Amino acid sequence: MNYLFQVLTIISIYSILALSLNLLIGYTGLLSLSHAAFYGIGAYIGTLSGIVFGLSFFPCLLLAIAGTVAISFVVSLPSLRLKGDYFVLASLSFQTIVFVVLYNWIAVTRGPFGLTNIARPTLFGFSLSSDFAYFVFSGIIALACLGLLYLIGHSPFGRLLKAVREDEIAVSALGKDITRLKVTAFAIAAGFAAVAGLLFAGHVRYLDPTSFTLLESVFVVSIIIIGGAGNVSGPLIGTVLLVTLPEVLRFVGIPYTIAPNLRQIIYGLLIILVLRFKPQGISGEYGFE
Amino acid sequence: MSVLVLDHVSKAFDGIQAVKDVSLTFEHNAVTALIGPNGAGKTTLFNLICGFVHPDEGAIYYRGKNITGLPPWRVTRMGIGRLFQDVHLFDRLTVRENILTAFQNQTGENPLKAVLLRRRMLREERSHNRRALELLDFVGLADKADDLAENLSYGQQKLLAVARVLAVDADTLLLDEPTAGVSPALIPDLLDLIRKLATSGKAIALIEHNMNAVTNSADRAYYIADGEVVSHGSPNEVLGNPTVRMHYIGI
Repeated sequence: MNYLFQVLTIISIYSILALSLNLLIGYTGLLSLSHAAFYGIGAYIGTLSGIVFGLSFFPCLLLAIAGTVAISFVVSLPSLRLKGDYFVLASLSFQTIVFVVLYNWIAVTRGPFGLTNIARPTLFGFSLSSDFAYFVFSGIIALACLGLLYLIGHSPFGRLLKAVREDEIAVSALGKDITRLKVTAFAIAAGFAAVAGLLFAGHVRYLDPTSFTLLESVFVVSIIIIGGAGNVSGPLIGTVLLVTLPEVLRFVGIPYTIAPNLRQIIYGLLIILVLRFKPQGISGEYGFE
Repeated sequence: MSVLVLDHVSKAFDGIQAVKDVSLTFEHNAVTALIGPNGAGKTTLFNLICGFVHPDEGAIYYRGKNITGLPPWRVTRMGIGRLFQDVHLFDRLTVRENILTAFQNQTGENPLKAVLLRRRMLREERSHNRRALELLDFVGLADKADDLAENLSYGQQKLLAVARVLAVDADTLLLDEPTAGVSPALIPDLLDLIRKLATSGKAIALIEHNMNAVTNSADRAYYIADGEVVSHGSPNEVLGNPTVRMHYIGI
């Protein structure tokens, strides 16, 4: 049973990542490859706040969000001036820089040794140390995030982000500041990634930089490409599908030595098939071209 | 007093002088037409006013304020709306959503307010939806409200772009070939609308190749060739000018 709750916790965490990145990819049309960087920054800031200042979960969460959003401004203001492929490259380089910093800033992050024995939060004197309790906790937080992202997406703000995706010139001719819209979308996506990061830290109770590589960013992008972009159902379906796929491989008895490679092959194949035959993904409203 | 003034404006692109020392004025309650051959620099003048390009020399004033160098969204917020020649619609948004993006100062444009002031936002959305349908009804697209903009014919797209710029509710409208591509049966209605907007107090700048449209709906005209103002006055005076007749009309 614990295994099931662990998988469901991972689904909760990735649904936050996918739906927040959807605000950039699906709504605004910004293919960002740095989502795992913000996920990692949030995980480290939140966890270190707990270790260094002895804060409880929610103050740590607030610090993680605030810190990650602040860093997002530093990155987004210069990189959002770039268009199309150049923005993708800028986000990719930021992703790489963050990994290198997490890996080498040993005095703070302990680098490859990682942060160990991360305490699971205690709420109102009730410990979340069991996998079931932690799943309920992350599920509730994920639902709150999904609700917020739904309200943000279904608003004039969300509509303007889609308009930016379609035609930036027209948006600015309608009196809307496109830089501000993009920077705000970027900050919101980063803030939600930080929430996912802190939930992840409490789930595995161990942090090291290899959880936040470029491959992880690409994984979240794949969730959106395969599930579909621009609405809520697409990224959710993608999350459930791509997170449970390796578990299914485990059950059909594929040996551990082959499974990770097979998984990569299946992801790659899925992306190619989706882009070729159903560019809007399984349930998305906006097709990649 | 003129609402919009271009004061000795020049602009070169890669050494080619697109606009040479042009001075123009636009007035409230009047349709001012810019005419001239393709490549004369008319659309560049609109781009200069809107802030998409900035002049090398000269200045642009709106209601007495220097707006030279402002970004396009600020120019629009000051009250200048722009209809693009090549429509610039949001293709994969619905016809209705295309209009809804254009309303100014929406509470829900701020994501924090969209969450915290949800009720106010929804109330505003209902009234904006009504207004959007009125505008769509006005251009005859009400039954297409929930179609994607990319599925409209070119003429319908043009009308949607007109409805969208009206939703901005700007005092000054820059209309770049509003009748091009619109079905001939609808053109008189469109020109009628432009006249009505001017009578209601707006300043209208109109780039137009249809000379009947110019003589029927414009109060003033500038003839522009090779980036320079060649002649200005009433449409009949300008079209009667011998240089204009020879170069533009060919008689």
